Amino acid sequence: MQESPYWNPRHETMPRDQIEALQVRKLKNLVAWTEARVPWQAKRLKAAGVSAESITSLKDLQRIPMMTRDEWIQAQLEDPPFGPLLAAPQEAAIRYHLTSGTTGRIPLQVLDSMKDWEWIAEMWCYGFWGFGVRPRDIVFFAFSYGTFVGFWGAHYASEKIGCLVLPGGNMTTEARVKQILTMKATVVCSTPTYALRMAQEAKTMGVDLAGSAVKRLILSGEPAGSIPATKRLIEEEWGAKAADTAGMTEVGTIMMFECERQPGGTHIIEDHYIEEVVDPETGEPVGYGELGERLITSFGRGFIPVLRYRTRDLVVRVPASGCTCGRSFDLYDGGIRGRVDDMKLVRGTNVYPRAVESIVREFKEIDEFRIHLYTADGRQDEIEVLVEIPNREGVNADRTVDELAKALSQAHEGLRFGCKRVENGSLPRFELKAKRLQDDRIVIGTAGERRVTA
Amino acid sequence: MKNAMGVELSESERSLVECYQGLVRVLKDGKDLAPFERRNALKAVAALWQVVNGLDLDPGQLYEIGA
Repeated sequence: MQESPYWNPRHETMPRDQIEALQVRKLKNLVAWTEARVPWQAKRLKAAGVSAESITSLKDLQRIPMMTRDEWIQAQLEDPPFGPLLAAPQEAAIRYHLTSGTTGRIPLQVLDSMKDWEWIAEMWCYGFWGFGVRPRDIVFFAFSYGTFVGFWGAHYASEKIGCLVLPGGNMTTEARVKQILTMKATVVCSTPTYALRMAQEAKTMGVDLAGSAVKRLILSGEPAGSIPATKRLIEEEWGAKAADTAGMTEVGTIMMFECERQPGGTHIIEDHYIEEVVDPETGEPVGYGELGERLITSFGRGFIPVLRYRTRDLVVRVPASGCTCGRSFDLYDGGIRGRVDDMKLVRGTNVYPRAVESIVREFKEIDEFRIHLYTADGRQDEIEVLVEIPNREGVNADRTVDELAKALSQAHEGLRFGCKRVENGSLPRFELKAKRLQDDRIVIGTAGERRVTA
Repeated sequence: MKNAMGVELSESERSLVECYQGLVRVLKDGKDLAPFERRNALKAVAALWQVVNGLDLDPGQLYEIGA
């Protein structure tokens, strides 16, 4: 029998009307489970006039109240440690995880049972199998295996598929590169930033990564996996194909993956989630091709039902026909485009870190960068991009800095960017989610408006 | 055997579903299971739940049996 390119062929190629019928049925079950087991959520549903019996189509989804991260955190604070969100007793759990905390906020804490944990790996299997990972593969994880859920599910997905797994926790970058080479890893999993970091380290070690056994990189944790310039750079440095995925602790695993056809976007795993895209201001649905905030409803983890959770991720949804792989799962064109709160207003111009990164990555000689916002003369917003450019043959660092400043300005309505070269190794390196924007402004927008938080 | 979408399951699929149902039954009713029997059966049922769920049979939750 010919090997299927799909993890679940029936679901992944289901006609759209059947996907919707499946989602309605699962939504009804999820609401019934939530009503029966989570009084805090049941009260919210009842107040909105929603019951399992009243759900007959996907339009009914819009009657379910949206849930925000702040509400989740508030519930945790009032009833620590998990809040009144658990649908099963803690004794049924085998796993505890929390959000990465890279933004300095209070982390969300979650629990999973044995079945939920298995499901978390199952979602990664959609992505790994869909990108061509098979039992013969040797998979290296550049991941620190802590309480942040990160690649945990991917690790177990690789085992489930039958791959040989190399758990690269608690290792230096040099040691990781060495192990990838000596063990002839064929697949490497990391954040996009760390994939570039390993490539830099390999150069320092005099190693030709492009000549290694690595054929695939599976990226997660940052939007950069779908920024064309960053992805192109990663693929060139590694001589391998790179796929973007995106997940979140709130559901425990990934919701989307890029398939082997690499259509420039990620397929939504629609038999396990309902994803909606709404206007972040009004909460009204937006159509195909329009930028909006994604909301997620998950049919997976039963321990903490997630209904219409506001992710703050910005996406552009397009029909499944945007990819030739045969899946009927819709796509997020360009993956996650950024966060609703990522946008910075600098002297009247919108600046998105992702857009800046996509320009910086066009300059291969730049190893690392930071976007720095500050206040000049106590009143004026300024933006500068600090870059590390190692001395290499044929590289004119001054010219690169000038060209970068020009390119950034042109892409931002003529906004002046003060690009500066800084000492090599002086900018922070990241293994998990990179945080390259530093906002030191004391006055934002109009004169006299004080900054509230750091 | 048909799933919730009205699709007839294949013989192999039916066998997997019967395995799952048998395991759930044993875990619910079997009071005399040794630790190695119960805990390994729970791991197996957690994995087979993914199959039954993927086959659209709406398996519900398993917390009451410890999975």
